[in-house]
Amino acid sequence: MEKFDVVIVGAGLAGLSAAYTLARAGVEVVVIERGDYPGAKNVTGGRLYVNPVRQYLPDIWEEAPLERHVTNELLTMMSSENSTTIRFRSEKFNRPPYQSYTVLRGTFDRWLASKAEAEGAMLVTKNLVDDVIKENGRVIGVVAGGEELGADVVIACDGVLSLIAEKAGLRSPGDPRNYAVGLKEVIELPRETLEDRFGLTGDEGVAQLFMGSLTQGCFGGGFLYTNKSSISLGMVVGVKDLMEKKPQVEVPYLLEEFKQRPEIAPLIKGGELVEYSAHVIPEGGMAGLTTLFSDGLLVAGDAAGFSLNMGITVRGMEFAIASGVIAARAVQQARERNDFSAASLACYQQMLEQSFVLQDFKTFRHAPQFLENPRLFSFYPEFADRILEEVFTFGEGPKAKLSDTVRKHLSFGEAWRIARDLWGGLKI
Amino acid sequence: MNIIVCVKQTVDLQQVRIRKETREPVLDNIPLTIGNIDKNALEEAVRIRDKVGGKVIAVSAGSEQLTDTIKEALAMGADEAILVISTEFEGADSGAAAAALAQAIKRVEDYGIILLGEGSADNYSGQVGPRLAEILDLPQVTYVSSLEVENGTIKAVRNLDDCFETVEVGVPAVVSVVSEINEPRIPSVTQILKAGKKPKQVFKPEDLGIEITRSITTLSNLAPDQDRKRILFQEGTDKDVASLVSALEAEGLVRR
Ligand SMILES: Cc1cc2nc3c(=O)[nH]c(=O)nc-3n(C[C@H](O)[C@H](O)[C@H](O)COP(=O)(O)OP(=O)(O)OC[C@H]3O[C@@H](n4cnc5c(N)ncnc54)[C@H](O)[C@@H]3O)c2cc1C
Ligand SMILES: Cc1cc2nc3c(=O)[nH]c(=O)nc-3n(C[C@H](O)[C@H](O)[C@H](O)COP(=O)(O)OP(=O)(O)OC[C@H]3O[C@@H](n4cnc5c(N)ncnc54)[C@H](O)[C@@H]3O)c2cc1C
Repeated sequence: MEKFDVVIVGAGLAGLSAAYTLARAGVEVVVIERGDYPGAKNVTGGRLYVNPVRQYLPDIWEEAPLERHVTNELLTMMSSENSTTIRFRSEKFNRPPYQSYTVLRGTFDRWLASKAEAEGAMLVTKNLVDDVIKENGRVIGVVAGGEELGADVVIACDGVLSLIAEKAGLRSPGDPRNYAVGLKEVIELPRETLEDRFGLTGDEGVAQLFMGSLTQGCFGGGFLYTNKSSISLGMVVGVKDLMEKKPQVEVPYLLEEFKQRPEIAPLIKGGELVEYSAHVIPEGGMAGLTTLFSDGLLVAGDAAGFSLNMGITVRGMEFAIASGVIAARAVQQARERNDFSAASLACYQQMLEQSFVLQDFKTFRHAPQFLENPRLFSFYPEFADRILEEVFTFGEGPKAKLSDTVRKHLSFGEAWRIARDLWGGLKI
Repeated sequence: MNIIVCVKQTVDLQQVRIRKETREPVLDNIPLTIGNIDKNALEEAVRIRDKVGGKVIAVSAGSEQLTDTIKEALAMGADEAILVISTEFEGADSGAAAAALAQAIKRVEDYGIILLGEGSADNYSGQVGPRLAEILDLPQVTYVSSLEVENGTIKAVRNLDDCFETVEVGVPAVVSVVSEINEPRIPSVTQILKAGKKPKQVFKPEDLGIEITRSITTLSNLAPDQDRKRILFQEGTDKDVASLVSALEAEGLVRR
């Protein structure tokens, strides 16, 4: 059995960040990826916040192939015939260093892989890791393409539903109810057309989130991000709600309906669909995390459950990058001790606790529970839209006072429930 | 006796899409690979080596990324590589490629057979083999669908579409193969990992005393116009299943 210092499973953001960090430190590292190239199988909505991760991957952001920096934040509440949009634009967001960018993983991951390879990491694509090799209960390597590869440490960065963590006994196959499914289309448009449609100059971009009738009351929402010359458009829907929904509805169908909405159709008109992808998203929050390490094994990124699904927005890329780098640092510390046991690798968890990764998970630990409230995805968007509809509607007779309009749609019981929801929301 | 295989770096055709509006292929930022039929040539080289010994030397001319792309050939079994690297090879014609390959091959001692695919995955000019044979003043056998090398003699079957021709030639010779000759192997993980460490010689065109000339200008590169039928059958009605079936029948796509 050929042996290496470290074997990383999966060349997504977590795996590549770990590989880059280790290779820079002169550690012999092999990354095994099942896709044709890094980025081929990776799905994201499209926005990366750079500030939290800038110092984790030093010196490389200048040349990173990022799409547009986001200056316009839009939130749209949809009901069957109405929609309300809040648009926030900041000139502050339009000055470097920019805080967030839209990204396309096909480009970004391939670039990050080339950086890791330039530092000496060895990348093997088109190969699936089938199993971990254990000896006396500790992980000593992996099986890939029928061959055994040994390692002091294996880092599982194989994304949501991590097979490696499962084979190593760190996670049990999940209940589908604890996941969401995301669908995304990339629609290409000439750069000038896109900038005209969204009112953008230069490299500035838009991030727009949608909630309400587009998910037909299910947990979830839609998103739209502008790239240089394309739009990333998609939606995320909770699997539990989809399973329980009567009559049943399919997400591709919801996405089609969403695309035909008059709010969306003109934005993508004449565009060419160049990518269609679907992916599972962990949504368990703190409770959904796997055991993060064991003898000879670390788990990082989505594989560990480091994705926060906030209903209408998913945050996972920064966690993937940071946890990948922290895993690499833990390996370096373990190498100094020449001890790759669970006790020695426990420093991974300690470092994560000190970082924004586990601190954010702790802060938002009530979010999943709060977001389970179906009223968020049906009642509130409809309520806002209905009131605004009346505000903007002028009929034949005299116009009612605003307070009368609100009272008409808001019984005492309803007001009480809103207060309770608000209180729940303040906890996150 | 060493075996030389010429392989060309091209975009991975599986990843290329055609822009509907213009019918042009989108070639920016597409992963690079080695041409399909070149892989057949390489596979044949490896099989011959395993029988008669010697080394398989992959020779290639192309842009900077070639140092990375060539790992695929090394993983598939080539023992070493000789690369001629220049950005000017992009869009250059068969003449330039053949000239560069010939000069690189001249640096190899004791080669018996030079293998190529019958055409490259992108341009498919089918000229590099014949040109190379002329420059090196070697006999050439084209469109080979089966090959045997024994005691310095090459026995090759040529697939000429309407017939097969069996020829014999002494080494050294240039042989171009067709895809049916074999099934290229998929390299294993350890072979891929070892590929990065195999020896590579890298030259610039100047080092070999060649100038890259262009005698061909590409005026347009368009996919054929494909029109869809655009017939919509309303779902959920029996009548429409029937009309779908008869429409398919009319196209000769289903038969009762
Ligand atoms: C629709 C959607 C929208 C999202 N929006 C955002 C957003 O706007 N912002 C944000 O920050 N996050 C977002 N996320 C979350 C974010 O995309 C993920 O958290 C992030 O991609 C996780 O990175 P990773 O490296 O851990 O996993 P991945 O990117 O999934 O990488 C795992 C890699 O491992 C490979 N692999 C898996 N199993 C094996 C195996 N057995 N052998 C070999 N290779 C294997 C896979 O092919 C893959 O390349 C979104 C996710 C989805 C699905
Ligand atoms: C990610 C994924 C991976 C899978 N992997 C595998 C696998 O490895 N092995 C396997 O066996 N199965 C796999 N499956 C399942 C398999 O792909 C499907 O079961 C199979 O494609 C179903 O074939 P079908 O002909 O019934 O339907 P489809 O392939 O969906 O064909 C339906 C056709 O009807 C057309 N159509 C629909 N509505 C209309 C209309 N109104 N008018 C005209 N045309 C219409 C569509 O365009 C489509 O071409 C996979 C599925 C998915 C989603």
